[in-house]
Order: sequence, then C-alpha cells, then structure tokens
Amino acid sequence: MPPLLEVQNLQTHFGTLDGVVRAVEGVSFHIDAGETVAVVGESGCGKSVTAMSIMRLIQTPPGKIAGKILFQGRDLLELTEPEMQAIRGKDISMVFQEPMTSLNPVLTVGRQIGETVMLHEGLSAKDAEQRAIEMLTLVGIPAPARRVREYPHQLSGGMRQRVMIAMALACSPQLLVADEPTTALDVTIQAQILELMRDLKTRVGAAIMLITHDLGVVAEMAQRVVVMYAGRKVEEGSVEDIFLHPLHPYTRGLMGAMPKLGSSLTTTGRTKLTEIEGQVPSLRKPIIGCAFAGRCPEVTDVCRRMAPAIEEKAPAHWVACHYAARAMAAA
Amino acid sequence: MSTTTLPTDGFTPAPELADVLPPRKERSRLGMFIHRHPTIAVGGFMVIMFILMAIFAPLLGTVDPTALAPAKRTRAPSEIYWFGTDMLGRDVYSRVIYGSRISLIIGFAVAFLSAVIGLFIGLISGFIRSVDAVVMRIMDGIMSIPSILLAIAMMALTRASVENVIIAITIADVPRVSRLVRGVVLTLREQPYVEAAIASGTRMPTIILKHILPNTFAPVLVLATFLCASAMIAEATLSFIGAGTPPIVPSWGNIMAEGRALWQVKPYIVFFPALFLSITVLSVNLLGDGMRDALDPRMAKRI
Amino acid sequence: MFAYTVRRVIATIPVMAVVALFVFSLLYIAPGDPAAIIAGDQATPEDVERIRESLGLDRPFLLRFTEWLFRVLQGDLGVSIFTNLPVSHMIQQRLEPTFSLMALTLVIALSFAIPMGVLAAWKQGTWIDRLVMVFAVMGFSVPVFVVGYVLAYTFALQLDWFPVQGYSPLANGFGGWLSNLMLPAIALGSAFIALIARITRATMLEVLSQDYVRTARAKGVGQRSVLFVHALKNAAVPIITIIGIGFAALIGGAVVTESVFAIPGVGRLVVDAILRRDYPVIQGVVLMFSFTYVIVNLIVDLLYTVFDPRIRY
Repeated sequence: MPPLLEVQNLQTHFGTLDGVVRAVEGVSFHIDAGETVAVVGESGCGKSVTAMSIMRLIQTPPGKIAGKILFQGRDLLELTEPEMQAIRGKDISMVFQEPMTSLNPVLTVGRQIGETVMLHEGLSAKDAEQRAIEMLTLVGIPAPARRVREYPHQLSGGMRQRVMIAMALACSPQLLVADEPTTALDVTIQAQILELMRDLKTRVGAAIMLITHDLGVVAEMAQRVVVMYAGRKVEEGSVEDIFLHPLHPYTRGLMGAMPKLGSSLTTTGRTKLTEIEGQVPSLRKPIIGCAFAGRCPEVTDVCRRMAPAIEEKAPAHWVACHYAARAMAAA
Repeated sequence: MSTTTLPTDGFTPAPELADVLPPRKERSRLGMFIHRHPTIAVGGFMVIMFILMAIFAPLLGTVDPTALAPAKRTRAPSEIYWFGTDMLGRDVYSRVIYGSRISLIIGFAVAFLSAVIGLFIGLISGFIRSVDAVVMRIMDGIMSIPSILLAIAMMALTRASVENVIIAITIADVPRVSRLVRGVVLTLREQPYVEAAIASGTRMPTIILKHILPNTFAPVLVLATFLCASAMIAEATLSFIGAGTPPIVPSWGNIMAEGRALWQVKPYIVFFPALFLSITVLSVNLLGDGMRDALDPRMAKRI
Repeated sequence: MFAYTVRRVIATIPVMAVVALFVFSLLYIAPGDPAAIIAGDQATPEDVERIRESLGLDRPFLLRFTEWLFRVLQGDLGVSIFTNLPVSHMIQQRLEPTFSLMALTLVIALSFAIPMGVLAAWKQGTWIDRLVMVFAVMGFSVPVFVVGYVLAYTFALQLDWFPVQGYSPLANGFGGWLSNLMLPAIALGSAFIALIARITRATMLEVLSQDYVRTARAKGVGQRSVLFVHALKNAAVPIITIIGIGFAALIGGAVVTESVFAIPGVGRLVVDAILRRDYPVIQGVVLMFSFTYVIVNLIVDLLYTVFDPRIRY
C-alpha cells in the first residue's frame, strides 16, 4: 500500500532583497496512514516551512516550492488552488503553535469550527453549530453549548488549543499537521493536550505529522522521527533508533541537549547543550560540504568539501553522515 | 528574485554572482536618496518648482494680473492669452501664476502657525495634568466643528483679507497638532530615560527641550505638510464660496469663483487655476506621504 | 453593553457644550467689530447699533450665552437678519437635499472604497495596488468643487447623461432624485473614497499577516471569504473610525458641492448667508452640522461593539 503522504525532494526557497533563502533543501520522507511522525530540529531548521509547503500555504512569490508532495497518490503541487482548498481542512488539517493568535478574535468559536464543516460537508449553519458542540465535547471543553457562542478572548490558552484541535478534526482528516501544538502552553496543559491528541488519533484514525523541538513530546507521541538541520533531513528512523542509536552527530547533540530524567536542567541540560557549539549556517548562501560541518565535533576535511548523501544504513534508518558506519560500530 | 533556479543536487551549486563579485558601485548620495524615497524626491522637486514660479512670477511672461481690459473680455486661450481672459479682460495666465503666491503663502503660514501654536499647547497639556483636562476638552470641541464651517463662521465676522483667512484656517488646525504632540509627549514620558531624568531631578524645561521637543519635530513636520496642502484647498474653497480672500486678490479660489458664472461656456477660466491648485496640493501631499513613510511607521499611524 | 452606551452618550454632552460655547464665542473672538462687518460698508451707525443689539453684543457674555443656550436647547436657533424667519425653520426646509446628498455619497463611497482597499491590500505591490494608491493621493489633492466641475462638464454638458444642475425631491420620483444627485455624490465622494480606501488597505495589510488568517486558509476557506469575512471584520474598527472622522470633510464638501450643482440644501443656505452677511443663519448651520458630526461619531463609538466583541468597556 502506498504511503498516505510522500514528500520527495522538497525544496522551498524564498526570494528576498538580500538574496534567496533556501529554507528547505531537498527533503524527502513519508507518513503512513494512522502513523505519527515527528519532525524535529532547532528553530529555523525548516520544519515549519516543510509543513506550510505541504499545506501549500507558502505565498508564491516570494516563495517557490519544488519537488513532489504526493498525498494519496496525488501531487499536491500540481493541484489548482480551488482543488487544494477542498483538501485543506478536510483531508489534511493543521494545528498551529500560537493558540492565542491563531483563532479569529471577532468570530465565535462555533462559527470558526462550523465553517469547516459547512465548507467541506455542505452542512447548514444550524447543523454546523451542532457539530461544533459535538467537537467541543470531544475535545473536553465543559459547557460546550454555551462556549460555542463565545469568542476566543473568553477562553484560556489551553481551551483555545482544544478549540484549534476541534476545528482541525471536525471533518475527520486523514492527516493532521501539528506545528508545535504544545510549545506555547503550560506544562500541565501540555500533557493534557498531548493526551487529547493521542486519544483523538485513535478515535478519528488520522495520521499526525508532529513538528516539535521537544524530544519529550516525540518520545511520548511518535513512531518515527525525521531530524532536520539547516533545511535538510539529516536522519530518519524509528523512535527507538533515534533515541537509542542516533547515527548523526547532530541527533546525538540533540539527545544530549535533552534534559535527562533525574538530572536537574541547570547542570546536565546546560552543559550538554553547549555540546552543539557554533552557528547554524546562513541559508542565504549555498552550503558547500556537510551543512553541520561548522558545528560537528567529529568534523574532517571530507565533511567540509563534500556533502554526505542520505543513505539507509540500517533497515528504515536513514542518515546523512560520512561517518555513520563508525557510529554504528560504536553503538 | 522570482527567477530563482532550484539546483536539484544539494551539494555543489555554483556560488551566486553576488557573493563573488565586489559590491556594486556606490550610488551618489542624491541618487541613493531618490532611490530610497521617490515620493519625497518627486513631491519635493515639484514643490520647489512651484515656489520658484511664485517668486519669479513677474519674469514668466506675465502682465499685471489685476489690469482690466474690458475690450478683451472672455477671450479663449490663444498665443497672446495662453489661458484666455476673464470677464473683466484680465489675463488668466498671469492671474494663475501670481495666484500661486497667495496659495503658497497661505499654505505655509497656516502650516507654520498651527505647528508652533499646536506644539506649545500640546507640550503644556502633555505635562500639566490640570491644564490637559481643560485644554483637551476645548480641542475636542473645536475638532467637532467641521473646519470649513468654522472658517466660514470666522470669515463672516471679519473683513475679507489674506491674514484673516490664515487665522480662520489655523484655528481649525491647531487642535490636530496639539493632539498629536500631546500623544507623543505622553508616550515619551513613559520612556525609561525620561522617567530617569525626571526622577533624578532634572528641571522640566530641560527635559522638554532635550528629550521631548526633538522627538516631536518629525511627526509635527509631516502633519504640518499635510496641513499646508489642506490649507491651500481650504483657501480655494472659502474664496470660491465668497468667504475667503477679497475678490481683488488673484488667488486661485477667486479666479475660479469669478469663472463660476461662465463655467458652462468658458470652462478654461475655472480649469487652469483648478489644474494648478490640484497639482500644487498633490506635490505637497506626495512630499508629506514620502516623509511619513520614511518615519517610524508606528508614529506615522497617528497622523 | 447598555452601560457602555449610556456612558458614551453622556460623554458627548461636554463635547457638545464646548462646541456650543465655542461657536457662540466666535462673535467675541473675531477681530474687529462684528456688528459693523455684518451691517456692511453702507450701513449707518444706527444700523450697526441695531445689529449689535440683535446679536446681544451689548449685554454681558455669560448672561447672553446662558439665554442663547437655553433657546438652542429648545430648538430655537435665532432669527435671520435678512428674512426675519426662524433659522431652525429655514434649515429644516433645506434638510432633504443635503441629507440625500450625504446618504448617497456614503453609499457610493463605501461600496467603492472598501473593495478598492481590500483589493489593493490583497494585490500588494502590483499595478492594481499602485493604481489605488495613486487614486487615493489624487482624491486628497483635487478639491471637491474641481472634481464637481470636471464631472459636470464631461458627463452632463458634453455627454448629457445627467442633469447639469438642480435637485429633484424624492417625493417626485426616485429616478429624477438619483440622476440629479449622481454627479454631486461622486464629486463629494472622491476625497472620501480616497480616505477610506487608504485606511482599508493599510489595516487589511496588517490583518492579513495575522495568524488567524493563516488558520482560515489552512481550513480551506476561499480567498474571497478570507478577505471579506475573516480579515475585513477585523479591519472594521479602524475603517469605521475614519468614516466618522471623515464625516467632517463630507459636511464641508457638501457645502461646496451644493453650490457647484445648485442644490437647494443647507450648504447652499449657508453660502447665500455669507453673501448677505446673515450671521444668525451661519451660526445656526454651523451648530447644527457640528452636533450632527458629534452624533455620527457617537454612533461610530457604539458600532465598535458590533464589530469587535472584545470592546466592552
């Protein structure tokens, strides 16, 4: 069976006055139906741009998207805008990072949830409100019949993110793209939202593309992980592979940067974080050699001159590093 | 930038020319300015041309703009009378060229006076709470009277003269400047460095002169530019309905007012002053637009 | 909501009081002797004295102001020097044409300006955007009466599509009313369109970059609905604010437009009064229009709550 989503050699560039920014540079990965794939990396590594490219929400120009984005066998990049509109919110929907600003402040919650089903399922305004109430119940908002008439400013941050999720799931999409869905929330609310997403995923049966820089969230939610760096995919594998046998020095750096259980953030976290020293390379200039060369503790001349190709070093475990074999042997 | 090529293999794209070549030849400073702020350049150039036209009016092939020649009434535009003659045989071209003097004088005078008075009132009410409450109520009141009507009422009570027109329009404009200045002062007062100066016992006049006043200049200059443009329209409007400069003065509004009775048959008497007025106001507005865009955008929102 | 309305209404009272005080004080602020100026150059000293008395300039300011204010509150705006008719009565007779002109202008201006501003913001940086911006600067720069003459000359005199001048009351039929008012309304609306289109564009640009617009797109909402439902409703408050503020220019423009197109409205009344030095009429009209302006802005304040649920003072 072909995967639900298959991204092939995705390139998203932006023309700016100071030159072309190569935000995503040749990324490929796939997501199977019902699966949760996490895309991780530091901020600015191109993970959000990848998500926006899949949704085709990049403004073109100044943006330019190349490659293939196959969703259920159809290349989304070939579709007309109206065809794409019919997919957005129905087959693929998205939850954003900022629940405080992602809801329209002048429309009621019910209107915003109901709009999706009115649009994609042709429901009447009355039925749409009924569906909105059901969705609010589903995401665990108390007194949904009252809340549905309220405006976003009357809700707390956690509730707003629940509303965003209700909105995204209203049409039972095949794929939910969640861009840092919990980053802006309190820790306790974070846990609730993750719990909710896991629960709904099994009920609705949607696949999730989870974008995050929080490895704790990855461990809790995902089956597979894609690691991105400077617009490129540097490693991909199962959660076990990535957490237990990371092959790319950058992934190992990220693992080190994650505070371990039982150690305080100030000691372990900080010292480990400094392991990845140096600057992310400028995306305005073409990168010669390995993108991570400037920060890699194991860098050699080969790395500086030649970019490593991404290869399947172990079954379903891909990595772009000249010295992946050495890392495997060490592991 | 939209013609970006996408290299398919990620690793050996040719470095871009811009990264390799030395930086482009520096533009001249003037060229740079025109490139950055085209509206300021165009508006400013045109305003300067109109000022020169007003100053050198006698040298531009004009005759006495008030000279009557009853025998040559309402001539159509020709080689002798470029813009034709009016009902009293006066040369419309000369009247239009000289008319620029009146418009510019009124525009600049209103802009200058309302800026100075408004600045004064705004500074005081921004700093003295008790004054603020009263003064701003009065300003709100004046702003609630449509400015042309306020000027009409003033003019109905005074003799028609250029000075009185200036006063009448200025009274309506002062509240706009003082509101703006007061807003700037209230914002600046919250700034840490001003609070620190107040806390460390710096005297008020020093604070106003050193910290507040310089920050009000840019927005006031922009607003004054717009007021200059609107004052020129206001003068023409007042003169046009008979509440402006005395009919003897060749202001653009007066020329149009005189052409009014004949506009259906001799439209050029109205047309030429209208054209000059519109282009002058347009130039001043362009200048103001350009200056506003060059300013801090948050400041620009207030104007 | 009710409390907010009550508070806003009460807040207009001091503004109206200041307006009344200022309009009344003009007689005292004006340089020179208003009585002599109103009486005109050929007047005898007796005439001047008579006018001074009728204006009440011979009595103390405060006493005279209190008396005047009480009469204004009862709807008595004084008596015309020229016709000896009550000013309020004269204004009342002229209200229909002026109100018609303003209403039509508002309808035309809004139905053009808002789509123009939205379009310019959507197509930011393209020739459509530039065209709208050029039009906006022109609209500010060309005086209303010049636009009026250009339109009248082109569409009435040359093309004969509309009557050149005049007014036909609504009671005599909608067609005649509309065709007489069409050109004046477009002329008067030109500056207003420029003002609103500009603010609409600026506000929409800001709104379109907001996260919730991205959310709407991610839901599969179409471009038109993104612009006119999700974005425009968020841009509404600044737009209606500028409509309220711009109403002053609309009133001032109406005075001139009525002169150009010979519309027998309140504006025409005030222009005739200038020529006759009929100050009580001028004062009455200024007061009436100023109060109208204050009330329009009160309505704008109240409309805020309709467009933005967050405003609940």
